[in-house]
Amino acid sequence: MTARAVVIGGGLHGLSTALHLARAGWSVTVLERRHVGRHSSGINAGGVRRLGRDLREIALSQVAFEMWTKLRALVGDDGGFRPSGQVKVAESEADLARLERRAAEVRALGWTHEELVDRAETRRLLPAVAPHVVGALVVRDDGAADPMRTVMAFRRAALAAGAVIEEGEGVVGLERTGSGTLRVVTARGAWEAERVANCAGAWATAIARMAGETIRCGVKSSMMIVTERLPRFVEPTVGAASRALSFKQTEAGTVLIGGGHQGRADVAAETAVVDFRNLAKAARIAAELFPLMHGVRIVRSWSGIEARTPDEIPVIGESTTCPGLIHSFGYSGHGFQLAPAAGAAVAEIMMRGTTNLPVAPFAPARLIEKAAA
Amino acid sequence: MKVAVIGAGPAGTRAVEVLVRAGHRPVWIDEAAANGGRIHQRPVAGTTRSHRDLYGTEAAKAEAIHALGERLRAASDWRPGTLVWNIRPGVLDTLCAGRHGTIGFDRAILCTGAMDRIVPVPGWTLPGVFTLGGAQIALKAQGVAIGARVAFIGTGPLLWLVATQYVKAGAEVALVLDTTPFTTKARAAAGLLRDPATFARGLALVARLRMAGVRVIEGGVPVAIEGADAVGSVRVRDRAGREHHIACDAVGLGFGLKPESQLADLAGVPFVFDATQRNWVPQHDRAGRTAVPGICLAGDGAGIAGADAAELAGARAAWAAIEDGGGAVDRGEVARLDRALARIPPFRAALERAFPYPATLAARTPDATIVCRCEAITAEELRAAARATHVTGGAPEVNRAKAFTRVGMGRCQGRVCGPPAAEILADALGCDIAAVGRLRGQPPVKPIPILAQAVE
Repeated sequence: MTARAVVIGGGLHGLSTALHLARAGWSVTVLERRHVGRHSSGINAGGVRRLGRDLREIALSQVAFEMWTKLRALVGDDGGFRPSGQVKVAESEADLARLERRAAEVRALGWTHEELVDRAETRRLLPAVAPHVVGALVVRDDGAADPMRTVMAFRRAALAAGAVIEEGEGVVGLERTGSGTLRVVTARGAWEAERVANCAGAWATAIARMAGETIRCGVKSSMMIVTERLPRFVEPTVGAASRALSFKQTEAGTVLIGGGHQGRADVAAETAVVDFRNLAKAARIAAELFPLMHGVRIVRSWSGIEARTPDEIPVIGESTTCPGLIHSFGYSGHGFQLAPAAGAAVAEIMMRGTTNLPVAPFAPARLIEKAAA
Repeated sequence: MKVAVIGAGPAGTRAVEVLVRAGHRPVWIDEAAANGGRIHQRPVAGTTRSHRDLYGTEAAKAEAIHALGERLRAASDWRPGTLVWNIRPGVLDTLCAGRHGTIGFDRAILCTGAMDRIVPVPGWTLPGVFTLGGAQIALKAQGVAIGARVAFIGTGPLLWLVATQYVKAGAEVALVLDTTPFTTKARAAAGLLRDPATFARGLALVARLRMAGVRVIEGGVPVAIEGADAVGSVRVRDRAGREHHIACDAVGLGFGLKPESQLADLAGVPFVFDATQRNWVPQHDRAGRTAVPGICLAGDGAGIAGADAAELAGARAAWAAIEDGGGAVDRGEVARLDRALARIPPFRAALERAFPYPATLAARTPDATIVCRCEAITAEELRAAARATHVTGGAPEVNRAKAFTRVGMGRCQGRVCGPPAAEILADALGCDIAAVGRLRGQPPVKPIPILAQAVE
């Protein structure tokens, strides 16, 4: 089988890449080992967040933000995106000083989306927040979306644009042909393409190794807990300046608590299990920030698997060993918001060899393991 | 060797008995304050009803299990009022009196019992609708009826048993509607005679209800449970197609049982679809051993087989755990248990044939009826997920239906809505029920407080 482009991985990044390729008139096939949105794309916390981004990610995140606000025009559905705000609270004067420094750094780069607010404004934004909170860093038009709904919207849009999605096709081999194209081999078939995107998430380093490239990148398995439904008490998504927390009340009324507390991943088995000792920390932080959480019950918990780079920013760019192979992975637990823009960037690199989108800091070279001399 | 027995019903009690006899001091855990399980549920303190009144023909068995439980409390590390909400390799996560804890184990025998299986009859979410098991617990444990005039709707031995117990306790039973026609039960009679005593007890129940003048409809279907803000009446259709409108203030609803198998699932035990009981059951051999080292299963949690079988299976699983731990085994006793256990499946199969789960009734749940009450998901929403094409991304199995619709995401984790949701999905997809799979378990198995002081 042939296509001008093959995308390995049917997560949000793969689908976004395929969508942009198909819209530009390229024939593209997505090869997904299980089914679309099986891993972190479908089960993440759904944060649409610029707040607190690594400084190198802000530019791309800004582009993505513009795309989120017009998501319906892009994929026919808003993915449940609500610009209800993201708030990072300061629990002490030291926290506040830290947030002030951060705000200054962001401003110095010319960005104005992050705003430092005082105790009164924090209380207005978060009426249920604990009294010890002294202020916050806020991005008012950040927000949250529904991950599975977003994945399915990108899936529909990609298919409507002409992309082909093959589920149940796990890639086992990647090789160059005599004519300079790339051959992507699965257990059931082979696809020949001019360009291949590696959007395989936690399994992307294995794809890179098939191309003779060893990229330093591990995995993480962030955990989430969800409570029973509560009356509405908080609109924005909440984090903390010096503690790991992501706290959000969903439209259904349940409260989603995460923040990067780690479970245990089994990459080979494609599973991750919850570590309740770590999860209890997230629960405790949540209850300290929102006293009304005392006595609330946990209904479910889960963990997913995602690639994590040593510097916690993604790998986006052409392979150093295999021309025509473009990497897009290693989003380290904060790739959901970036997906619309990252997919556009990867598609451009595949089609034109370069992009004007701000992805230069993510070039793979920084993480290439040098072969022993 | 540290053995943990989870559950103190007939299976758990007999397992602990064997372990203690073999010189072990197992840790023994149950959510209830005393042993007996749901079948031999203890009444609240101060009750004046006798064992005979509470347990009827099963009084002697209940008494024996209770007496045994009293004896075993001191001989074991007895942990009443304790929920095991997660299982990891060698560790149980527990909650007791608002405190989180952990219990280590080398071997665990999971005797987690069963719960009612429902069909989402229109109106089933009204206040006043209970499961049959719930109606029975109200009577056994609290000494109260679920209403003054009760309709019992469903199928299975429990339907007739609970209705009879209500009549005996002096409650007015407005209706017993069994979705299974009399002819279906008659056809299964030959198989049921493998256990003549049980069969005779069943016939006596029916006779007693008819003698008491209770309105009985066999082979009928529930149309709706009606009422403005609580149960006021039920509408049912008999086999001849006539509709009956019957006033009542409570409904007991139940269509057979399903295993409470979440801990086996979290432990990693593989499951298989048992077409006879139309349930997913954790796989195990006759001794209760599973593919997961150190994990044994016994009782209804391992597949519905009833209380008598649970007592045998509990004892057998304990011997398996002892043997696997390198202990000495009473071969004669094990052989006796194996012979007795071998007699169970043919009788169970006949019972399942006599009272089949009304799969079609569940599959044809009206569009507007809520299937998942925790998340308020209707049958129509599930059908829409199934109908979706390749382009819109359909749900070919229940876990994706869960991701798309939220069915099974709420408090009950699909324990209640799972079976009918699977029937609706399979029907809408036009595929076999086994092909849509089962909802994957996620800890905690039951809701737990977000903050509970850790003990340690």
